[in-house]
Amino acid sequence: MKLPRRALLPLLVCLAASPLWAAGPARDPLQIVASVPDLAEIATAVGGPRVQVTSLTKGSENLHSVRVRPSMLVAVRRADVFLEAGLSLESTWLPSLLLTARNSKIAKDQPGFVNCSEGWAAIEVPTSLSREGGDLHPDGNPHFTLDPAAGPHVARRIAAALSEVDPDGAELYAQRLDEYLAAVAKKAERWQRLVEGMKGKRVAVYHVEFNYLTRYAGIETAVSVESKPGVAPTPRDVARVVRELEEQHVDLILTAAWSNNRTLTDIAEKSGAKVLELPTQVDGASWAKTWIDLLDGDLVRLREAFGLPALEDQGS
Amino acid sequence: MRHLRHLRPLACGLLLAAPAAAQGSGITSPGMPATGSGQTDRFSREFNPAISLAFDAYMDYVELDGAGDEGTHLELRSAEVLASAWIDPTAWIYATVASDGEELALEEASLQYLGLGDAHTLRVGRFFLDFGKQMQAHVHDLRTFERPLVLRELLGEEVKGDGLQWDWWSPAGDVTVVRTSLGVFQSLTPHEHGSEHGAAAGAEPWQEDRRDLGKLDFSGRVTALRDVGTNGQVQVGLSTRLVPELAYEDPASGNLSASGSNSVWGLDLTYGWVDDTATKSWTFGGEYLRANGALSAEVDLASNVVVNDGDASGYYLFLDHGLDRQSSVGAQYSRCQLVEAGAGDAREIDVYYTHYLSEFLRLRFSAGYADYDASPDALRLVIQLTGFVGPHDHGINW
Repeated sequence: MKLPRRALLPLLVCLAASPLWAAGPARDPLQIVASVPDLAEIATAVGGPRVQVTSLTKGSENLHSVRVRPSMLVAVRRADVFLEAGLSLESTWLPSLLLTARNSKIAKDQPGFVNCSEGWAAIEVPTSLSREGGDLHPDGNPHFTLDPAAGPHVARRIAAALSEVDPDGAELYAQRLDEYLAAVAKKAERWQRLVEGMKGKRVAVYHVEFNYLTRYAGIETAVSVESKPGVAPTPRDVARVVRELEEQHVDLILTAAWSNNRTLTDIAEKSGAKVLELPTQVDGASWAKTWIDLLDGDLVRLREAFGLPALEDQGS
Repeated sequence: MRHLRHLRPLACGLLLAAPAAAQGSGITSPGMPATGSGQTDRFSREFNPAISLAFDAYMDYVELDGAGDEGTHLELRSAEVLASAWIDPTAWIYATVASDGEELALEEASLQYLGLGDAHTLRVGRFFLDFGKQMQAHVHDLRTFERPLVLRELLGEEVKGDGLQWDWWSPAGDVTVVRTSLGVFQSLTPHEHGSEHGAAAGAEPWQEDRRDLGKLDFSGRVTALRDVGTNGQVQVGLSTRLVPELAYEDPASGNLSASGSNSVWGLDLTYGWVDDTATKSWTFGGEYLRANGALSAEVDLASNVVVNDGDASGYYLFLDHGLDRQSSVGAQYSRCQLVEAGAGDAREIDVYYTHYLSEFLRLRFSAGYADYDASPDALRLVIQLTGFVGPHDHGINW
């Protein structure tokens, strides 16, 4: 029996494509969506080529008042894994987004949902809960990713989750986790040298988002521009802060991009204190492309602001 | 210990009864529903709803161009209790009880069923009309002190109904989403309407309590949102409210008008931009509405109810600028044909400054000027204070 000529072409195409079948179906990368850039960057480091990562927020954004956009809803709906910082950092916008997205793979009881602060010992856990205390976070200060121990903690949480969701990649995730932890450990030695001389120094902060970093460096947060977390300073607060800066002998105010505003300029002019804007998340500055760079760059700038001598390999 | 043998049946009975006692159910008499839920008792707190409180108070000063009710006024406009809870993994409910300072009323009580899969939601109960950008929201949640003139005039200050609504959304590409809803309601006519402009209102909307399915009231909305760059988004929407059978009643005489219908269509367009720090923003947009059919009715000297049948249209435009995380300023202009016969047109302009003293306490200064063809113009200055405690969220907001 002869095959008709017209049947030959599809057959040839199929034969030509057979090596692709032998190699198995092409695997789509695991879609990971992270609430904040720090988690996204660490997930990229751990997941490598097996993952495609999207951050819902920008590095310079005020994480307490994020405005949800259509692309965020689409990304969450298509996610295989969702990473949240937790400690109610995202409580004003994320629960509604997750509810609307209706993605069962990232429901809170599924392995695809990862609370990256689970197991983290938070600081400033309130002993009583009342709005009299301002915008309190019941589980403690949620800005934990500025703690040098946070990177390894988050990386371990992500590697464990990825291995559960994508067991075929478990070996790769474990290998990349080890590499990441080694890279952080190497940098940690340098960070120890960077904070030398900072212990006992005092700073003011606009919001309580630098408290993990200052705790690591032994810096005392002596003054807060917000009278209570999340409560915007009033003209009376400006007078209070100026007075406290003088009384406490504090001449450095730490702020993020979102809070570097006219109030701070006013306080700086009246008190003579210097305002230092530091990124709090990856991509919050052009040089903060990775979480390791973020920590390193923040500590370098703190060291410069205190007038401490530069390390030989300090960089900028 | 032989004397204890007779206690064995009692001990066994107590052991068997233990789970029932733990559930708080004493006895279920034949023919009556079981009362134990298995996880809670009458006084359990663990599975209780989340509760929030809100209050909205204001002081205003009104100056009329001519005679009228002018001067300063203080009022608790609303005090509200809202409770929300999941009732099983596929459904949640919320209820809002609100007072206008005098009467307590059930504003909303709605069950949202998510068990249809995909992004479908079935909503049952009493809830606000899904029309345009604003009608789903309570007045105290709005950007301005009052709803825009055109919405108050052609739809009503707050329009809610007992009904059923299907809601669904879907991605359309990576940066666009589309949402649509269809609802059927017992009634979507506002309970209070008209008379604020001084024109004779007199008659009130009236509908048969029981009517054919096709004669019930309907709502529909389709909207698309799209990212514009990394900081902006644009939304366009088309909405309708259909009242196929509507008459008007003179409450004094009980006289009814002939039956008619009313339909309102709306087209909205909004653009929003937020800076990289999510603190400064610009938003502008507007909505155009067109109503036709039985718009309003008056009672003549012979107690006949005369319906104003025709067309009316109007629009509002707004611009809002977020100065920082706490403060915003804005302006809104609305123009509309009034629904009362012979009332002509009206124009309203509002400017406002809103400041959040904290995340939960809002202070607003507002100045508005209303220009009516057939009644005195009005200037209104308002100081509004609104506070929230607890999770305050009424439902869909897009």
